[in-house]
Amino acid sequence: MTEHSYSSEPACDVVWPLGKPAYATRAPVERVADLSNKVIGETWDYLFRGEEWFPILREELTRRYPGIRFVTYDTFGNLHGPNQRELVAKVPSLLQEHKIDAVISGIGA
Amino acid sequence: MERAGVPSVSVISSGFLKQAAVVAKGLGLPDMAIAEFPGVPMTQSKAQLREQVISQLLPRVIAGLSRPIQRAEAEPETLTPEPRDTIFRGSFDDVQEHFHEMGWSDGMPVVPPTLDRIARFLKFTARDPDEVIGVMPPANREATVWNIAVNGVMAGCRPEYMPILLAVVEAVCAPEYKIEDAGSTPGWESLIVLSGPIVKELGFNAGQGVMRMGRQPNTSVGRFLRLLLRNIAGFTHGPEGADKGSIGQSFLVAAAENEDAVAELGWQPYSVDRGFEAGDNVVTVQSVVAISAPVYSQSERADEHAALLADVIGQRACGYWTAIGMCYANWHPLIMLGPSIAKVFAQNGWSKDDIRNYFYQHVKISARDAERYAYGAGLTGFRIANNVKQGLLPLEYALSEDPDRLVPVFQKPEWIGIVVAGDAGRNQSKGFVCNHVQGVPTSRRVVLPDNWSALRAEMAPKGSA
Repeated sequence: MTEHSYSSEPACDVVWPLGKPAYATRAPVERVADLSNKVIGETWDYLFRGEEWFPILREELTRRYPGIRFVTYDTFGNLHGPNQRELVAKVPSLLQEHKIDAVISGIGA
Repeated sequence: MERAGVPSVSVISSGFLKQAAVVAKGLGLPDMAIAEFPGVPMTQSKAQLREQVISQLLPRVIAGLSRPIQRAEAEPETLTPEPRDTIFRGSFDDVQEHFHEMGWSDGMPVVPPTLDRIARFLKFTARDPDEVIGVMPPANREATVWNIAVNGVMAGCRPEYMPILLAVVEAVCAPEYKIEDAGSTPGWESLIVLSGPIVKELGFNAGQGVMRMGRQPNTSVGRFLRLLLRNIAGFTHGPEGADKGSIGQSFLVAAAENEDAVAELGWQPYSVDRGFEAGDNVVTVQSVVAISAPVYSQSERADEHAALLADVIGQRACGYWTAIGMCYANWHPLIMLGPSIAKVFAQNGWSKDDIRNYFYQHVKISARDAERYAYGAGLTGFRIANNVKQGLLPLEYALSEDPDRLVPVFQKPEWIGIVVAGDAGRNQSKGFVCNHVQGVPTSRRVVLPDNWSALRAEMAPKGSA
């Protein structure tokens, strides 16, 4: 408990106005050391010019990493749009189905 | 992605990094890989964007996917206080300083949350104080009966408002409300509309100045929700704040419907529109991103009132933001009709549905403008025709490919809310623009304790009859 006083008025005891965190902290999963021959998924919220910068990233990554392939954002749909909950629920099975090794997620650019 | 066992990197522009940190922490992934997109992509030329992607974003994306992540020190969550622990002792002024310093107040003085004050609030519900009403993202903290009372005390609510506070929190914690997006850049606020006999019982203002601060129930209930959003959901402007409202607005006082006026018209109250029985005590919460100019319509004819309301509220206030509503295929503007205006409609035989249909049929925007407005707001992947193909917008939106074709501003007439409130002695109405799928109208019944009347008498302020 913290105690402090700037005045001679009567003191009162107060409680915490926040709530307990409802999450367990965990570490990110292991990274992919070399992106060559890997399958990269793209997820996007259809915001902030992703239709322009995703293709540039694809082009540049392809130049640097032989055999790299992409499962583009249209496979996943707009994950922040009208069908957000349904589409987000499908993500794990799509990751598995397309044997995706890593994901670039365009969520707040 | 990470939860599914696949490494990911999130592309976040500079202005959203603070919010990303709160979201990541709330997801239990504080060390999530982030690739910063420098600057504001919406103001860059194509050449600038390409240069930024290649020189800045690309190396960060590669690093985020392939470089091992150094974990930061885990936060000692075990130090979270128990609800009844005293966390501070001091005078009224000391409490203010401490709460400001900790980021637990909204900048105005708060009523110190003492055990005695909280106990008085808890008398007004039979629910277990430790019951979790919902988990509020992005901070993902538990909203419990206990901390709802704590924040109610702080906001200056009276104990008898507790059943309303619980209903409000139930509403905003409903998944469809998407409280996790209450810090999005439009800076929307939640508007609480209260219906039922409790409006008069507790002295809510439904008349002149209904949206003004000053009446204790309206003001403190509205303030309570903003405090809860700060303290439980994490929407603050502090170093770890998740509130990204670019310009934002202040909290809205709770509105109350003038059900006496509604009854005189022979209309059903707003609570019935929301699926409840007339006479039920109901809260409905919805987002408000903007409020129209006051509309002074004058006539003894309903169609003349409808025409001006459609012009000012429909075309001018909603005609811009409808584009965002089209993107998300979910948009619920609210019209607050002054009692004298509602009376003219009723006397001319118009129902609320007639008003809604008028708005739907008469307020239009060109498809070109809608797509341009949406693009500017960052919804760069939106095309009306695509949303029609996906069944998200009615066929009427794509009857031709002419970019200058007119499409309805209001997607469905039944999505327009109508509440009768405000100055009975003037001919004024206002419109409240909803922020699309974020903050769709969500209603909950207010559950009163069995001994409601006796408790109210017990808690009546000293000096009251």
